[in-house]
Amino acid sequence: MVDFEPKIVAFLCNWCAYAGADLAGVSRLQYPSNIRTVRVMCSGRVDPVFIIKAFKQGCDGVLVSG
Amino acid sequence: MTKKLLGLAGIGKERLHLAWVSSAEAQRFVEIVNDVTESIKSQGKFDPKAFSFELDAAEMTLAGETLRWLVGKEVKITKDGDVYGRKWDTDSFESILDSVLEREFQMNLICQAIKDGCKSVRDISARIGLNLMRISYLMADMEKRKMVEFTGMEDSKPVFAVM
Repeated sequence: MVDFEPKIVAFLCNWCAYAGADLAGVSRLQYPSNIRTVRVMCSGRVDPVFIIKAFKQGCDGVLVSG
Repeated sequence: MTKKLLGLAGIGKERLHLAWVSSAEAQRFVEIVNDVTESIKSQGKFDPKAFSFELDAAEMTLAGETLRWLVGKEVKITKDGDVYGRKWDTDSFESILDSVLEREFQMNLICQAIKDGCKSVRDISARIGLNLMRISYLMADMEKRKMVEFTGMEDSKPVFAVM
């Protein structure tokens, strides 16, 4: 279990968290590469069904950030 | 709501994280990603096959109109009152939402079990682990809502089918 690298789907709002993630990249801050980003125009766009679908397709965790 | 449902489904609500980050908070974003990754790591791998039943039922529940109506009306019901003019405080609204969520999820689990070939109440109970009383109670509602239908007797047990 030590080497377990989880797959995390991150739904990021274009105007908030995605820009934050972008800034983190620009300022060369290190963060884990486990997250797979899905950019949405608003975190209100994320339907609960998307989250279930993500789990169905085998991701280990979901982060919704706006 | 989705968190509660994941908890109900036994998937664990700690697998879903919500966080608010502004565009200027790169440091905060990095901290959140670190925390989430650590948390998921400690929870271990998620096996969707083991939970396929629960995931399908959860998806049906969230896509169903009952919950969408209820969630959509939350502000109206808690601020202006319902159609009878009764006002609901947020706590009582939440508790109703919880019970509806649980009921809808269990109904959808029953649907899944019937589709999977469990025809009688006893088979369904063995498959999804709900007690017989609760299943019979929900099935009576589901018959009214035309979700399931009574198809006859088999070995003197009533059997059902999904409509």
